[in-house]
Amino acid sequence: MPYASIIVPAFNSVETLPQTLLSLRSQTFRDFEIIVVNDGSTDDTARVAAEAAKLDHRIRLVEQGNRGLAGARNSGIAAASGVVVGLCDADDLWMPEKLAAHVGHLAVAPHVGLSYTGSALINYAGQRIGHAQRPKLYGVTASHVFKRNPIGNGSAPVFRRAALEALAYRPHGETERDWVFDETFRQSEDIECWLRLCLTTDWSLEGVPGLLTEYRLSAGGLSARTDAQLAAWERMVSKLRPTAPDFFARHENAARAYQLRYLARRAVTGGDGAAAMDYLRRALRLSKTPLFEEPLRTLTTVAAAVTVEHLGRDPMQLLSYLRPRAGS
Amino acid sequence: MTAKLRIIHLVDDTTPGGLMRVIDLMTNSPELTQMAQQMVRIVGRGEALPQCDADVVISHLTINWRSLPRLIAFRARHSGVQLYHVEHSYTEGFTAHNVPFKARFFTLLRTAYALFDRVIAVSSAQADWLRRRGLVRSTRLTVIRSRVSLDPFFDLPAPEGPVRVLGAIGRLDRQKGFDVLIKAFRTLPDPDLRLHVYGSGSEETALKALAHGDTRIRFFGYVSDPVEAMAAVDLVVMPSRWESFGLVALEARAARRPLLYADVDGLHESGAGAAFVKGHDPEVWALALENQIYGKARCVPASPKQQDIGLDWSTLLQSLTLDKGRPGLQQSAA
Repeated sequence: MPYASIIVPAFNSVETLPQTLLSLRSQTFRDFEIIVVNDGSTDDTARVAAEAAKLDHRIRLVEQGNRGLAGARNSGIAAASGVVVGLCDADDLWMPEKLAAHVGHLAVAPHVGLSYTGSALINYAGQRIGHAQRPKLYGVTASHVFKRNPIGNGSAPVFRRAALEALAYRPHGETERDWVFDETFRQSEDIECWLRLCLTTDWSLEGVPGLLTEYRLSAGGLSARTDAQLAAWERMVSKLRPTAPDFFARHENAARAYQLRYLARRAVTGGDGAAAMDYLRRALRLSKTPLFEEPLRTLTTVAAAVTVEHLGRDPMQLLSYLRPRAGS
Repeated sequence: MTAKLRIIHLVDDTTPGGLMRVIDLMTNSPELTQMAQQMVRIVGRGEALPQCDADVVISHLTINWRSLPRLIAFRARHSGVQLYHVEHSYTEGFTAHNVPFKARFFTLLRTAYALFDRVIAVSSAQADWLRRRGLVRSTRLTVIRSRVSLDPFFDLPAPEGPVRVLGAIGRLDRQKGFDVLIKAFRTLPDPDLRLHVYGSGSEETALKALAHGDTRIRFFGYVSDPVEAMAAVDLVVMPSRWESFGLVALEARAARRPLLYADVDGLHESGAGAAFVKGHDPEVWALALENQIYGKARCVPASPKQQDIGLDWSTLLQSLTLDKGRPGLQQSAA
């Protein structure tokens, strides 16, 4: 039985899946299986995965009708046999040392149930665009996860199986397998899962240094619709609040302010200055915490929102052309 | 005939609740009294631990960083004495809900437990957690489930007819999750239902605010006789967020009350056979309450066996009485 399992949820990923699988097959830690979960794709994803499975016997294909990202991950987790289970979305990439780093980390830190790394952002062509998620790695608490989500994206975490088991539950009406991710969410399913791990289990989260994940930005994907994103986030809060009411009483407004600031940044990227300003005003009215804890980032966001609102997108785009690019 | 063992119980939490009743049951147990002479010493939270002239010292103390130095000093001064610790507080659920830096907390527990010759878990679930987390070595870990005297609960008549009165019995603390119960109860439209809350504590004001406007919910404050509270209710609800054992569940079963509990820590053992709910979503709890109240899936769990906690303890201490002829123990007894 392989020591590690890597779950690759795939929906219409024919363009990116080969590159993702190649990055996983190139891991320096080699005792693993790759479980590609074809989430009812309408393109050739299944064929691409099946062909890859012929080349490399560590790859397995699991088929299901479309259940969404959370559902695909749950199916993959149910099929996984490793004591260490990683996730990698079918458009993201793992650096060759990533699995080795997490396996080593989990072996020496028995209290850690979820190990993560920072991520470099890549564009459609798979090139690094010079932005990165560099999260806090040590001493991470539930409030930090709630406010700043250090895990960042769904291809960063590698779990210990025992931690997944602590998270698993069988909702009413589910007959096939347990849920680790809540399948009623189409957005915010990640943060819901990480926060639930912090609030309802005795497992810790910890990062390992380095940008070992490459996370692809999609121009018109789900994350572009900021209002729906906020609604999903609020539903996540309503869901978990009864579990730890005093935790939410203490941190909810600060976390909401951070979430609004994040949406303001998304709106800036989308060129909607008015929406960005609106999110920022709401954020700072709720809580000054982002201003005290991260003054630079908060003020940069304000400056960007003001610029876009008054001058449009062009100055921001010009700035992004001037950025030094990693690896070029 | 061998001389009697001398046992001293160390207690730092004398607030009314399960702990003192568990210790009462031990000190009154015929099995234990036959083999040992027991004494209870109350110690203040901050003060040094007393010199104990005994064969066995059983700690019921709360472990925290501040009290670690006095425990170390106590161990050093009692090198020939068997030191046992009963872990009444900490569980997996406690850690999840209260500990921001979990690794540091595990270090504290590992350090403190290493000072004792034996650690006693009050439920198998707690013991599994202590073992799984590497906090206590298996060879030094024993499970003795908590007990209180259940006789008066066995004597209560079983409730008859439909469920009308729901009971929330326990400290009004975040731990007990009565906020979840009140929210769930308020969504039930039936005007004939009642929710009786027995207990006092830090959450009293907040819970009363939650219940405000619903005249079906009544607060009775702390009742010194738990049998009285049990007699007045038809269904016992325990939505606890963590619970090392959960004596109320045992009492409810002895009184043949249907019981609904949260699936946490040791409650599966004390509430064995009763209905349970996973998580603390008030909507899910409301559904589960309806099932119990209107009998859709009501289950009255089997009564627990009236098993004397003294018996478990005397079995554990048996090996020590046999050893009492050994020079080491004789010296300390002299």
